[in-house]
Amino acid sequence: MTLVIQQLVNGLALGAVYALFGVGFALILTKMGILNVAHGTFATWGALVAYFAVADVGLPFPLALVVGVVAAGVIGVLTDLVAFEPLRRRNAGLFAPIIASIGMWILLLTVAQAVFGATATSFPDHAVPSGPIKFAGLVILPAQLLNIAAALLVAFGLHLALTRTRFGAAVRAISADPRSATIVGVNAARTLRLVAFTAAAIAGLAGVLAGLSSNNVSFDLGEALLLKGFAAVVVGGYGDIRGAALAGFMIGILEVVSAQYISSGFRDAITFGVLLVILVLRPQGMFGERKLARA
Amino acid sequence: MNLAAWNTTLQFAGVSAIFALSIYASLWTGVLSLAPVFFGAVSAFTFGWVTLTVGLPPVAGLVLAAAGGGLLGVLTAFLVLRLESHYLAMATIALVLIGRVLVLNMEDFTGGVAGTLAPGDLGTWLWCLGCLGLAAYVLARLRGSRFGLAASAVREDPAVAQSLGINPRSVQLVGFVLSGVFGGMAGVLQASFLQFIGPDTFYTHLGFTTLAAVVLGGAFHWLGPIIGAVVFTALPELLRGPLGEFDSIVTGLLLVVIIIYLPRGLVDLRRLRLLRGRGKTAVSE
Repeated sequence: MTLVIQQLVNGLALGAVYALFGVGFALILTKMGILNVAHGTFATWGALVAYFAVADVGLPFPLALVVGVVAAGVIGVLTDLVAFEPLRRRNAGLFAPIIASIGMWILLLTVAQAVFGATATSFPDHAVPSGPIKFAGLVILPAQLLNIAAALLVAFGLHLALTRTRFGAAVRAISADPRSATIVGVNAARTLRLVAFTAAAIAGLAGVLAGLSSNNVSFDLGEALLLKGFAAVVVGGYGDIRGAALAGFMIGILEVVSAQYISSGFRDAITFGVLLVILVLRPQGMFGERKLARA
Repeated sequence: MNLAAWNTTLQFAGVSAIFALSIYASLWTGVLSLAPVFFGAVSAFTFGWVTLTVGLPPVAGLVLAAAGGGLLGVLTAFLVLRLESHYLAMATIALVLIGRVLVLNMEDFTGGVAGTLAPGDLGTWLWCLGCLGLAAYVLARLRGSRFGLAASAVREDPAVAQSLGINPRSVQLVGFVLSGVFGGMAGVLQASFLQFIGPDTFYTHLGFTTLAAVVLGGAFHWLGPIIGAVVFTALPELLRGPLGEFDSIVTGLLLVVIIIYLPRGLVDLRRLRLLRGRGKTAVSE
């Protein structure tokens, strides 16, 4: 029984990273209508910048984490300005932003590889306390707690921000109809920049935490996150940030449990299998509502 | 670059062109699909298996793979065509992800992580150009046909197409079958050129770069994907001299610049017509 609960905890900690990443990915997808393939590289850059801040500059880890997150956010805004804004201005439709994001993905990934090299490294051991916390027979690492807390905080914080604040109202107005939103006095440019920053910063946070808990920082860290985050968004549903977060946690648990009880080789098969089944049977996601199609 | 290197590069460009036509075939009907990578993976591993383990001649393997690709196209279409645009694109990406997992786990059949060998008999100019020519010929003949016009209509506006008596789903189904056959052929040729295929041979990278090639060349005429694929394969080789291994930086930049400033790609008959016949009313695609 303890083993089962221990696996659940491990799954939650793993899933927290997917949930975080999925939330940021879903924010861009649902509010800006962009399937942003480059989102994984934001996570990579967050982790890499945080690593440089710790290892080369010598900042303490919490400060380095903030630096990494902000750096990822800035890269996200730049990506939006360079690749998506011109398309938005032209009203280019659905496919063009996907293509542009593929370009940015190749660009950012290659630059990361050029800057960082192909070798993998990890954050220094003393970054966060590494002594496990023992509680009722369970062993919990501080990094795991950090993951879960960050994911819950960001998911609910973002949900509240989107549903209860002026900023959230502005974001929803723009995602519904940018022109009308502008007419009623929403500053579209500023809101879009802010959304781009938030989404990318969350990806950066996910990247740093992923690097921390897997003890592995490399230029392709974000690629695995992208696939899992993508699965979280699809499974969780298109409309609600909380769905993506919940699905992220579920995918983490599913992975840990299936690796334990079935086979570690089939771990990804099960995740992506669930992804396909959900897509076909319930394309709006487990928690999404069926949207009325506009003609 | 010496002549032999160019020879290899251009042969790969030919294979990429067939992959690009496979993506184009479903894009023509308004469906953004990365499924060709999946079709390619299935056919390539089938090809390796039937030629090396079962002992069929390579040509039979190619025919089998093309037919199997078409069948797979039908199955995929039934699975994903009910979905709307974004979801559909996502489902085909999911197929590519699942394809890799299948390759990794069906070890007896695919060699798992280590990958498998494939006979190099079809890795010649003759087969490459033959298959490319066949695919281009089919698309060129279809362009002016009832299907071609219907496909363009569905792509521009499915609702209008439906009101004109076109069933968008069946047009898209045909697109998927074409895509499956071309993807199957491309997968076999790729395997035959590489003579070795692994779990990462047919993965997201191939899908995204091929899609990029289609966009670069132009997704509104069958010539576009071919030219795009050739440029996209040759350009990194040309840049490898001055830029070293980081030639993809230019690839990425180019992609962003093209989609912003030249959204219809290099081959754009409409622009040519507009340039030629200023003042006259331009006929749109």
